[in-house]
Amino acid sequence: MARIDPALLERVFDTTEFGPITASEMVSFARSLGEQAACYVEPGPDLRAHPTFCVKFRGRKGFPEDFPAALLGPMSFDAGKDVALGEPIRPGDTVRVASSVHDVYEKTGRSGGMTFVVVRFTMTNQRGEHVATIDNRLMYRT
Amino acid sequence: MILDLHLHSERSDDSRAPVEQYLKILQRKRDERPLDGIVLTEHRQFDLHRDFRDLEDRYGLLILNAAEVETNYGHILVYGVNEAMLARFDFGDVRLPAQEVVSEVARLGGIALPCHPGRPNVGLLAHYETKPPLDGVVAVEAKNGGSKRGEDERVQDLIERFGYRAFGGSDAHLVSFVGICATEFDAEIRCMDDLVRELRGGSYRPADFRR
Amino acid sequence: MTLADVEEGDELPIEELYLSKDAVRAYAAASGIAFARFTDDEGARREGLPGMIAPGNMSMGLLAGRLERWAGVGSLARLGVTFRGIVLPDQTLRLCAAVTQKDEGSGSVEVDVWMESEQGDRLVIGTASVKIA
Repeated sequence: MARIDPALLERVFDTTEFGPITASEMVSFARSLGEQAACYVEPGPDLRAHPTFCVKFRGRKGFPEDFPAALLGPMSFDAGKDVALGEPIRPGDTVRVASSVHDVYEKTGRSGGMTFVVVRFTMTNQRGEHVATIDNRLMYRT
Repeated sequence: MILDLHLHSERSDDSRAPVEQYLKILQRKRDERPLDGIVLTEHRQFDLHRDFRDLEDRYGLLILNAAEVETNYGHILVYGVNEAMLARFDFGDVRLPAQEVVSEVARLGGIALPCHPGRPNVGLLAHYETKPPLDGVVAVEAKNGGSKRGEDERVQDLIERFGYRAFGGSDAHLVSFVGICATEFDAEIRCMDDLVRELRGGSYRPADFRR
Repeated sequence: MTLADVEEGDELPIEELYLSKDAVRAYAAASGIAFARFTDDEGARREGLPGMIAPGNMSMGLLAGRLERWAGVGSLARLGVTFRGIVLPDQTLRLCAAVTQKDEGSGSVEVDVWMESEQGDRLVIGTASVKIA
């Protein structure tokens, strides 16, 4: 595996803002998951985003510019994610996504040899409140 | 004596299972999964200093420590890991030479057994299609709790063809799946030396507690 | 439901749901990921897939919903999942969960969650931290 410069890890390489989030997009998302709870699907003062709504926000850049290209194959697969939730997202909020590379490691599995790159999204709203931290595990076949 | 020979705690990168929670579930599900202990087989690592005596005393279950390594013939479980083995092999290497692992681990006092042999890419069966069989394999994991449909069934052929012994393990990465597959031994096992001795030449068979 | 009603080892009733292609397309559109692999069988096959697939995030969303139907809106504090297999639409999936740890101090429980295919393969596995009122 190509060596990773430790200085690349945990360094914010992109900050992207989304919003203002609309009630309509929040409701569409929740309904697409079959949600029926009023607070997820009925516009009004109690409307809040589904807890996994935050996973639709991604940094504009996938990786730092100095990330070793040799580690990245032509196609990545979503191997999984860990989402730690903070304040719920509400209509009118903006969401700021700060991206960093959290970890890189190799393993083998049913798909053969794989390199995993964990990209962390730290999300805050316009009040600076923590909305979510998402560790995205991207798998590249080696 | 029934032991789960293959499972992962939160030390493994894709597991969040605390060891103690495995034991609590085994206590609670004793009627369905009558296990006497577990053998932790963390991915690509081994900690010589891991000590489970306190948990063993509290829960009355045996807890042993082994490893799952990755080789050019798929994944292999290594029991009886010692300093000499850790000096001989980088357990973090995902391309260890399988024949050397099997032979050297045996020479150094342990035993290395291929796991989930029916699994694509990381099971022995896939590699035997294009490479010569390994010398010195004593047993393979015939029942793996994480196997998809058909993967364990394919292993029977391998066992008959090469005369391998068969064992079982849950391959649990979640607390809920501890002990769903295991290995039943006729002899009592109190420590890793006992386990290695029994796996080499004792009497045992896979146990399947899936509903 | 209160924490006193929950015990370590409790298994939540399994929820079955039929995942249609239309539902997958709707999720992909709502998430801004209406790529071929999530919307069109032929397009997915050109990418080497057996047909259109459900996004991993959708599986995560379905499991999150299952937990909140049990513990209440806003109860989910953390959810971590590993995608172990492709989720094809036009099948009945099973959403499963079991309580593994209870913390009286924080008023929360740890839960194993997993999604099974019609044939019983575990396609998604994970854990969650859930606050119980």
